[in-house]
Amino acid sequence: MPHPGWSSFSFEGIGTHWEISTSSMLAPDVQRQLLATVADYDHTYSRFRPDSLVSALERGPGSISLPGHSVALRDVYEALYRISGGSMTPLIGSSLNRLGYDAGYTLVPSGAPEGAAKWEDVLEWSGTTVSSKVPLVLDVGAAGKGQLVDLLGEVLRSAGYLDFLVDGSGDMLHAGSMPVTVALEHPYDPKQAIGTVELDNSALCASASNRRAWGDGLHHVLDGITGQPIQTTVATWTMAASAMVADALATALFMVEPAALEAEFDFSWLRVFSNGTATFSGGFEGRLFT
Amino acid sequence: MTTPLRKSLYVGFASVSIIGTAAGCAPTTEAPSTQTPATQNGGQASTGSPSASTSAGNGGSTYKDGTYSADGTYTSPNGQETVGVELKLAGDKVSAVNITVHPSNPNTKKFQGEFASGIAAQIVGKDIDELNVSKVAGSSLTSGGFNDAVKQIKSQAK
Repeated sequence: MPHPGWSSFSFEGIGTHWEISTSSMLAPDVQRQLLATVADYDHTYSRFRPDSLVSALERGPGSISLPGHSVALRDVYEALYRISGGSMTPLIGSSLNRLGYDAGYTLVPSGAPEGAAKWEDVLEWSGTTVSSKVPLVLDVGAAGKGQLVDLLGEVLRSAGYLDFLVDGSGDMLHAGSMPVTVALEHPYDPKQAIGTVELDNSALCASASNRRAWGDGLHHVLDGITGQPIQTTVATWTMAASAMVADALATALFMVEPAALEAEFDFSWLRVFSNGTATFSGGFEGRLFT
Repeated sequence: MTTPLRKSLYVGFASVSIIGTAAGCAPTTEAPSTQTPATQNGGQASTGSPSASTSAGNGGSTYKDGTYSADGTYTSPNGQETVGVELKLAGDKVSAVNITVHPSNPNTKKFQGEFASGIAAQIVGKDIDELNVSKVAGSSLTSGGFNDAVKQIKSQAK
């Protein structure tokens, strides 16, 4: 509980645990709205449900129509795809072509994993319409949980709950007059924290190298090849106005230098490297334990 | 809910709320009976090793007192990994928690080893229990495995 006397509402959704804390108890119909929002999001984007909207793209070329909030998601992915030179993409690697979906494609055993298809080659995402030229897996995992955090915050605001903390297993959005102190989990020891931040009408998201969906294999592979000590990013945290942006940037920090992101996004960041050093921007200054 | 603020525990306790209240069971002298080993319940090789402790007994409790351990699994890009969870139950309450991350994948082992040796130099960890915080943000890597292990422990402790 962020503050004494607050109420919390917990549930499971999109494969993770959620806790919504509010200064006054949530009315049952608001709880229902929250759950419906999660269910809708899952139905739209889940890669693991054959009945989800995006799963239609896996079955063949075609078009789907996404909800209105997909426009913001598209924008953040588009920007990060561009800034990262294609490293950060909603098209997950080893396109389904590789699995034989493309009739003209002959499977060739190869030691090297196939990269994700290029956005411009296979995908047209304009407004709320997504069209694919080949069967593909659209994965919005790097920003989707954050966006759902934001959407739940919207449900709370429109229902008149102005003091809240939405916590989607570590991706959080805070609103109201009572800031919440959040510990930054030690990348390899969940019993420890490396610092704390004060969350005050802002979102905080984290990403760790060992749970990321893609791009992650890279430093392990490099390490195996070179045998060099790993000097790479192992964990990142970001603070931004929206959890969607914070979530996406926390992932992007694994592939892109912060300065390139700062040119286009207003956010604070913290990176911890495998050698135990950390670099950070203003919002995290003085927040790490020494 | 008292201390368990570290994320994995936080999540774990939420899912294990039936252990939450003691329902006014007065301590008795009834000895805890032998627990059965864990089943292969979704997770890996749980070495159900309940070391029957003394303590409150089972009068009215849902779970038998004792120390339980189980391994939960989660999938990292390095492959399957396991997390060891040890819970001490007394009067349907969790009185102690111990977590060990034991990577099975050589890459992760190396990765962790190098991280561990480097970490002392610059960033500094403090026990979350000692901090006055109610929320933790970080890798939720282990929480799935933790929940998995707790599920096994719940069935062991019945």
